[in-house]
Amino acid sequence: MGQKIVEYLDERVRIRALMSFLLNEPMPGGSRWAYIPGSMVLFVLILQFITGMMLAFYYGGTPDHAWDSVNYIDHLTYRGVPVGRLIRGIHYWGSSIMVIAVGIHLLQVFLWGAYKRPREIMWLVGTVLLALTMTAAFSGYLLPWDERAYWGTIVGTNMIGLIPLVGEAIKDAIRGGVGLGALTLSHFFTLHTMILPTLFILFVMLHMVIFRRVGPAGPFSGTPEQNEATKDTFYPRQVLMDSFGMMGVFILILLLAILRPPGLESVANPSNAAYNPTPAWYFDWIFQLLKMIRPEIVGVVGLPVLIAVVLVLLPFLDKKPVRSPFKRPLSVLSTLFVLVSMVVLSIMAENGYKKLVDVDRAAMARGQVVFNQSGCIGCHTVFGKGGKIGPDLSEEGLVGHSEHWLTVQFVNSKAHFPDSIMPDFTYLTKQQQHDLSMYISSLGRMGWPDPTKAQ
Amino acid sequence: MGEEVTYRVGIPVLGLRGENLGRLEKVLFTESRHQVTGLVVRSLESLHIVPLEKVTSVSGTEIRTHLTPNDLHQSPVFDPTQYEEVPPWFFPPGHHIELGALVTIKPLDVREQGEESAVSRRAFMGKSVALLASAIGISLLVPIGGYIMAAATTPVTDNWRDLGVKLQDLPLDEPVQRSFRAVSVSGWMRVPEDRSVWLIRHSGASDPWSEPEDQKKNLDSPLEEGHADPRLTVLSPICPHLGCEPQWHKGQKLFICPCHHSIYQLNGKVIGGPAPRPMDQLPVRISPDGSIAVIYEQFAIGIAAKVRLA
Ligand code: FES
Repeated sequence: MGQKIVEYLDERVRIRALMSFLLNEPMPGGSRWAYIPGSMVLFVLILQFITGMMLAFYYGGTPDHAWDSVNYIDHLTYRGVPVGRLIRGIHYWGSSIMVIAVGIHLLQVFLWGAYKRPREIMWLVGTVLLALTMTAAFSGYLLPWDERAYWGTIVGTNMIGLIPLVGEAIKDAIRGGVGLGALTLSHFFTLHTMILPTLFILFVMLHMVIFRRVGPAGPFSGTPEQNEATKDTFYPRQVLMDSFGMMGVFILILLLAILRPPGLESVANPSNAAYNPTPAWYFDWIFQLLKMIRPEIVGVVGLPVLIAVVLVLLPFLDKKPVRSPFKRPLSVLSTLFVLVSMVVLSIMAENGYKKLVDVDRAAMARGQVVFNQSGCIGCHTVFGKGGKIGPDLSEEGLVGHSEHWLTVQFVNSKAHFPDSIMPDFTYLTKQQQHDLSMYISSLGRMGWPDPTKAQ
Repeated sequence: MGEEVTYRVGIPVLGLRGENLGRLEKVLFTESRHQVTGLVVRSLESLHIVPLEKVTSVSGTEIRTHLTPNDLHQSPVFDPTQYEEVPPWFFPPGHHIELGALVTIKPLDVREQGEESAVSRRAFMGKSVALLASAIGISLLVPIGGYIMAAATTPVTDNWRDLGVKLQDLPLDEPVQRSFRAVSVSGWMRVPEDRSVWLIRHSGASDPWSEPEDQKKNLDSPLEEGHADPRLTVLSPICPHLGCEPQWHKGQKLFICPCHHSIYQLNGKVIGGPAPRPMDQLPVRISPDGSIAVIYEQFAIGIAAKVRLA
């Protein structure tokens, strides 16, 4: 049967010749694990395409529905399996893993000297793909339309606005107006789901076509004769290595999606001036660097320009044919320096953020009972219910109080606010204090009503 | 470069002083460099590899080299088992080679382990690839299937809707169309919409018209059976044929559907036209004070059975 299909197709589309063209690509020096990062990027990209299409099935791209639709996806279950959370988790973690995979791929190509002649154009196409990846990560951030998304995008687009002369115009064009609103969301949605995927497909194809024209660079040491003597074809050994890599990446993403599902903060609230947005982790180092460079404009404009210029010009400035990293100490050392600075800057940035308490969901549920029964709700409003004497606590979990701060606040609020009229809830047991602090820390971050259960 | 080089199999290969060394047999291609790097020359005793650097000129009739017969004798012997023919798309630019004459060295494992065991090893690797790929594919497709079905199988919850009329205010044995506000739920969105039903108050339980045809034919589900009232029949406004809305014709005392002229009696019985089943009876609840509540159900169109749409 299979044989017949192959015969049929071979007569009509020369499938055998096509397959052998695609699979019997020569790999100078043989297959290696070092060559898998490129395939990993492609794999994660495909994963993002598939899960992204799935998310678009249920997503509503307007400010009055986006949050609800994401919350709906989060609650979708099929026979008890939280499929919605899983698909969204894969997409969410897939974007992080994609950024990492692109980084590793770039690093490997750089260290192997594989960007050198005749692969300059392939490298350039690669930098375009890097830019697309970052834009995709940035534009996807807004789509859930929660506090983090909204304020992150406010800051991100404001930075574009700092560019002299054209900045304001670009910013307003991206936002579709002066402020963030319905048009911003549909702009970002269109960018994220139509423009970027189209460009991704085009440039990935270009990347691959050039790759087939120039062939793999092969190992950085060894004469061409040695590499020819030890050569292998792409299929099956390299494909098998790639498949193992993909399996590993897939399991990693799946584990992250299951163990650390993405959160959803309360719906974007333009009047919540107290909200302190933090960038996605892969922008941390830029965030920290920008804080250090003064005047601000130098960093905001200079940094991306510098990165772009270095990446674009690299293969044209570095024309020496020597590829081995052991013979290019300057390149390797500067790479090392950049990497270490990125890590240090990211750690500094992360330490600068207020850590939100890791909420234990069981304790949170018990804490809600304490909140409703111990009189808290008499003075404080949560999601529109409760008294008006104390402050509204609907988004209190986003403020970033530590558990210790919260427990002190329960039993002795005058320690924080000398004029506080809040009674001291000293009769709460240690356990109750813990549960209550978990509940307060969860407010505005989780525990949303399930829209799949009709009221 | 520039000029296209043509290698013609069989032409003589000449040595340093113009002596005949042998004939061109094959052209050697270094695949990983996309370059022709040597020629295979058939001399009287065997096949030898001549590197391209030793070749001084190539023409359509002869190839000149700076080799002596002794040099040729010293150069490596061409072992056909180590080489394979190159598919035409690998032809290096600027070279024209008669088909079948361009060869390249085989992959390492084929040379080392011999054709047979390398092939079976490769087949094994191919199967492993297929296994891994299907494992990833299945573990992705299963949740996706569930994800798509999750919304499709969200159960419809039954809501009793009060119609805002009292039984005692309805005319006897005369259908009245009554609209009410319902909410349609789709995923994360709830849209208010107007629905309507036919209400038929019967003059007496013994009235031959009072028993809906659905009940007689046993088409009802437990929900409808459990919530029927002999004083009042509630009929869906949707024609079971193709979904138009039958209208009540006072003079004839019949429901007639404008689309394909299905004709129904007061109790929903079909007496003409293409409709496959009677008009659908809906569950009704009448409170002691006479106020009426219904559950607005929808059923599959075009079939004889009364199958509820989930
Ligand atoms: S739809 Fe009513 S008769 Fe066809």
